[in-house]
Amino acid sequence: MTVQARLSAKLHRRVCLVLTEDAVLAEELLARKKLSQEVAGRLTDRVLLIRPGRIDAVLDELRKMGHTPQVVGK
Amino acid sequence: MSSHPEPDDWSARVRDSLSGYTEALLRAVAAKLIKPRTNQPADDLVEKSVAALANPPVIDRRVKDLPPAARKLLALIGLSRQPRWKVGHLITLLASLGHAEGFAPVQAALEAGLLFPELNPLAPPLEEFADWLGQSGTLAAVAFAHPAVATRARGEDLGLPDLAGGGLEPPARQSDGLEWPLRLAAVWQQVHAGPVRLTQANTLFKRDQTRLQGDEVLNAPPADLPVVVPDPGALSLFWAAAAGLLGETDGELRANPFPVAWDAGLLNVLTQLFAALPLVEAWDPLAGYAPSEPGLSPFPSAGLLALLLLAGGGREPADRPRSQGPPAPPARPWVDPGAVAGWLWEHHPSWAGALPPAANTDRGRAWVEAFLFGVAYPLRLVEAAHADTSWVVRLSDLGRHLLAAGPEPVAPPVFPQTLLVQPNAEVLAYRQGLTPGLIGTLSRFARWKGIGPACTLELNPEQTYRGLEAGLTYPMILQTLARHGTRPVPPSVADLLQGWANKRERITVYASAVLVEFPTPADLDEAVARGVVSVRLTDRIGMTANGKEPGLSQLRLIGNRDYESKPQRCVTVGDDGVTLTVDAAQADLLLEAEIARYADPLPGDAPGGVRRFRIGPQSLRRAADLGLALSDIDVWFQDRTGAPLSPAGRLFLLGRQLPPPTAGRRLVVQFPTPEITDGVMQWPETRMLVAERLGPTAVVVEEDALEAFRRVMAEVGLVLS
Repeated sequence: MTVQARLSAKLHRRVCLVLTEDAVLAEELLARKKLSQEVAGRLTDRVLLIRPGRIDAVLDELRKMGHTPQVVGK
Repeated sequence: MSSHPEPDDWSARVRDSLSGYTEALLRAVAAKLIKPRTNQPADDLVEKSVAALANPPVIDRRVKDLPPAARKLLALIGLSRQPRWKVGHLITLLASLGHAEGFAPVQAALEAGLLFPELNPLAPPLEEFADWLGQSGTLAAVAFAHPAVATRARGEDLGLPDLAGGGLEPPARQSDGLEWPLRLAAVWQQVHAGPVRLTQANTLFKRDQTRLQGDEVLNAPPADLPVVVPDPGALSLFWAAAAGLLGETDGELRANPFPVAWDAGLLNVLTQLFAALPLVEAWDPLAGYAPSEPGLSPFPSAGLLALLLLAGGGREPADRPRSQGPPAPPARPWVDPGAVAGWLWEHHPSWAGALPPAANTDRGRAWVEAFLFGVAYPLRLVEAAHADTSWVVRLSDLGRHLLAAGPEPVAPPVFPQTLLVQPNAEVLAYRQGLTPGLIGTLSRFARWKGIGPACTLELNPEQTYRGLEAGLTYPMILQTLARHGTRPVPPSVADLLQGWANKRERITVYASAVLVEFPTPADLDEAVARGVVSVRLTDRIGMTANGKEPGLSQLRLIGNRDYESKPQRCVTVGDDGVTLTVDAAQADLLLEAEIARYADPLPGDAPGGVRRFRIGPQSLRRAADLGLALSDIDVWFQDRTGAPLSPAGRLFLLGRQLPPPTAGRRLVVQFPTPEITDGVMQWPETRMLVAERLGPTAVVVEEDALEAFRRVMAEVGLVLS
């Protein structure tokens, strides 16, 4: 049996992010002014990074928009 | 010592309390409780005291050693099923039973190690029990008895009179016991949808009072006896909090998960709700919502006494000799509520004074009727009957079990098929088949719309979403409806539920994920193949499905960053002013998203895994198009590189905004040293002839001023060649 080499990696802990089903939905979220203020950056076309500590504001705004986000790790 | 014992871990609570005593007080209490023969360390005394409370013969002997009032105090706690009581209520209860010794019986039980104070963990060690009263206030201080002790003390004769009336044996009516579990579930659901904020005095804000008073479900008339208590919504709210369905966090009442006891059958839940009732202070059977700060509400003590009076002389004494054989079946006498009110009127020290003036005419009978028929009857503690012109009452099987040492009642039969799901997404729930467990499950995903002989619930997107967020899945919801349904779930309703569940899958919010960044896309591919991560976020970053930390056995960590910590300098600007080199070990995740605003990656340019980017006119124009001003860009470069945007970058950004540059021929005079040039620029005779200084040793002179400049320079011995 061969021992697999360990993979070099860096961990980013306590990351708040929103993962959307598609890029159009992410665009829709970014078009919402109150929501875009809480977005620190766009990692990819489907992944939005949320400013630290602003998760509740994001959830409130998503629900106001009529979305029912699945919340993981809260 | 555990700083936060579990709510039901009474041994841990005892250990915490004893650990808060000074050694002298601990030794004094242990001397009475465990009677140590040798001088033992304090820690051993604590452990042996805790162990003694699990030893029934020892408990029986110690309880017997107590004065009668202290024995009755422990009996009252045991009968209430509520181990925690305010000292003020305990003193009131004892005073009602004819013991006007004040704090003395409480002190005797504390000194015997059979009652314990709830101490402030930040307070200094307790030297004597009077200090504890001083810290917490005599009335508001809370004491508790270990349930093992309180249970053994239940048989003490309280000396209550037998109020039974004679003669009639009218047919008894008994509630199904679901009325309060249903209302508490409904209020739980409302708090789950929106927490209830409390004032600093722990009272309700007006808008919440109004909301509770106007709620159709909470204020629906009871399904059985037509006795409506005032403010049932407020009672439900505070009762739910006392029973653990709601918890207080930062001045807000929030929904807790349904206690597991709700799955353990109706009688268990009713017993829990009965035990929680003495903790409800802000409600009164006549006044409704009535916050009692800073006074002491008579409700907990008068309510318990009213029920105990129904047991009257029918309770089995603890010291009944076994030689007398098994006890005879207890008599089940009917009691006139007026007799209970009369006794309370004469014996309870504060109850009569707290009644509204209108209730004085019948000596508080209305209060007792509202409590017994509006609270205790729906809780299945008492039975009611109509005799002549008024209602009479007696303990039910459950009431006798809890309050008069009666046998454990037989659980009511269960009918699993009790739901009818209608095509309009409403659910009809017949009470005969409801159980607390089913009520709890339904409350998580369907909104209570009506409580009556047949209850109605509504399936809607919001409530389905809350159920899914609470851990249910679409198949679990469907299975619950199918298992308890009298007919199959209509396909249209199943489709609706499926659609709502799917909608939730469209956006996933990770509140605190661990992202794993690999040096190359190939490494991420390998990590996915090995199962280290399963979700690809970018070509180099992945995470586990639940966002938690992956197994580290296959990883060699080259960095560990906290997303919430301050951004660090992790970019170096090259001498060319346009090449940005990322320090992979120091870089954080935000850099990944930020740097793309200002620069483009250099493809195929990663010697040793080093990542480089390049700023250019187009990339910086992209930043400007995003609304970023030069000052914003400078801030980012200052944070990330330690210096503002490079001159080359400023050239790209500002070049278009400035006047156009000019080209022309100029007459340049070159001096041998900077000092000479400085002198030329300083001396007014030469300064006025210089058009512009170009550098350390060069100036521009206009051609028509050259001769004058030459003459002035000649005066100081410098000859222009």
